[in-house]
Amino acid sequence: MYGFEALTFNIHGGYLEAIVRGHRAGLLTTADYNNLCQCENLDDIKMHLSATKYGSYLQNEPSPLHTTTIVEKCTLKLVDDYKHMLCQATEPMSTFLEYIRYGHMIDNVVLIVTGTLHERDVQELIEKCHPLGMFDSIATLAVAQNMRELYRLVLVDTPLAPYFSECLTSEDLDDMNIEIMRNTLYKAYLEDFYKFCQKLGGATAEIMSDLLAFEADRRAVNITINSIGTELTREDRKKLYSNFGFLYPYGHEELAICEDIDQVRGVMEKYPPYQAIFSKMSYGESQMLDKAFYEEEVRRLCLAFEQQFHYAVFFAYMRLREQEIRNLMWISECVAQNQKSRIHDSVVYMF
Amino acid sequence: MAGQNARLNVVPTVTMLGVMKARLVGATRGHALLKKKSDALTVQFRALLKKIVTAKESMGDMMKTSSFALTEVKYVAGENVKHVVLENVKEATLKVRSRQENIAGVKLPKFDHFSEGETKNDLTAIEVLVELASLQTSFLTLDEAIKTTNRRVNALENVVKPKIENTISYIKGELDELEREDFFRLKKIQGYKRREVERQAANAKAFAEEMVLEGISMQRGISINAARSLLVGGGGEKDADIIF
Repeated sequence: MYGFEALTFNIHGGYLEAIVRGHRAGLLTTADYNNLCQCENLDDIKMHLSATKYGSYLQNEPSPLHTTTIVEKCTLKLVDDYKHMLCQATEPMSTFLEYIRYGHMIDNVVLIVTGTLHERDVQELIEKCHPLGMFDSIATLAVAQNMRELYRLVLVDTPLAPYFSECLTSEDLDDMNIEIMRNTLYKAYLEDFYKFCQKLGGATAEIMSDLLAFEADRRAVNITINSIGTELTREDRKKLYSNFGFLYPYGHEELAICEDIDQVRGVMEKYPPYQAIFSKMSYGESQMLDKAFYEEEVRRLCLAFEQQFHYAVFFAYMRLREQEIRNLMWISECVAQNQKSRIHDSVVYMF
Repeated sequence: MAGQNARLNVVPTVTMLGVMKARLVGATRGHALLKKKSDALTVQFRALLKKIVTAKESMGDMMKTSSFALTEVKYVAGENVKHVVLENVKEATLKVRSRQENIAGVKLPKFDHFSEGETKNDLTAIEVLVELASLQTSFLTLDEAIKTTNRRVNALENVVKPKIENTISYIKGELDELEREDFFRLKKIQGYKRREVERQAANAKAFAEEMVLEGISMQRGISINAARSLLVGGGGEKDADIIF
């Protein structure tokens, strides 16, 4: 019931909410980003980061430092924080936290399946997987020869099983283009997550449905723009859109028939939340769209912290950390490649 | 220096001299031709070097832009986008063909790129790379060729020709010496012959004198010695005791 969470939330969730808010205070601020942007090389960046929460993870790295090492170590810290929270959580918070990582699990599964189809070594593939998306039987994915076995042997035990039944029959699994499979899985995942949050009710449901709706809409726009000019039919495109969000259902109808970016813009400008994003871009330009979406997402995520006693803070914290890692990757690459003039193009400042 | 004394071990005959002279002519002509080839190759080499320098500079810029474009993609699509793209590619759009080109007599490899299927992407960076690869292999091959040619030129100039020249002078020397020996032998024999003739003449004269002496001694009934002194003494010392 909305409003009475203050009475009972802290029994099970108080400790972890405090932890998450502590972590949130450790996110890099605009001042930190400005300092990092002034660095001349990667060692300077390492020095600046050693003053932040990332210090202990980076100090043992020998120079010369590589941008991928920085990203790896920061991701490692994220994973450690997440695991710490996960093992302290009880139901239903632990299910909620698990939901957060399903997205990465889907990416890992798709990566291993395509790698096996092209006969790559299993060990190499496992190293390339995202650490948040690892599950125990992931190595056995490489054993399966086709999709049906894959499903029967491995996936039926994982939480991803119900999503695969959405992928229709096993014949479809064999022929389906791998990217379409990934998007179909993700769509099923988002809808499942949405239903779960609705079941939880209260502030969690409200905030999460807002965040998930934005996510679904963003993916719909991305799918539309990327499938312009490809062989993806309108029916298939519509099948990849999620069944919730601001754009559902009329926006999806209109997006499905779009053939170029200006038509997409025309559709999106009818919806006030997205009109602001699209008005920032001049006609015919789609480079800034990704950054605009990230900025909007960050804005909404920060707002999630304004309320207490709900689980959406965890989701918001994970997403904000991922954005921070993206920012760090961008800054390190710009510094390493001597392109400091472009640094401010893509850094999204949070606070 | 070893060159001064080196010569081929041959029988110093006139035929050999002819053979050696022919070889010298061949070596000289070969030397001149190879030198020309070496110069032509060096000219090509310099031109190639200039092209490589410009290609490398433009490649540096291209790589920078491409690398940055990759960073932008990584920003949007996450770190693993590289593997996702790699797994999804079925066939290469841009392929490379190699063929041989003949430059100043040297076969140089050259790479051409051609695209199969269309792509929306800007492939100039790869095309520059292919060209640079082509130029660099040509550079290395040409370098090898120039080294071998120069080695041959130097060998001809400093080893083969002196050897042959030394051999020729040796043969000539030997032939001259043989001729001199012959001449000397001839002269010596002539000397012997002359002395022989003179001895014969002297013997004959002595014999003739003997005959006359004998005749006189038989006529006069005096001894040979007295006859000799009579014959000789016509202008010689008179015996005071003889009256007329």
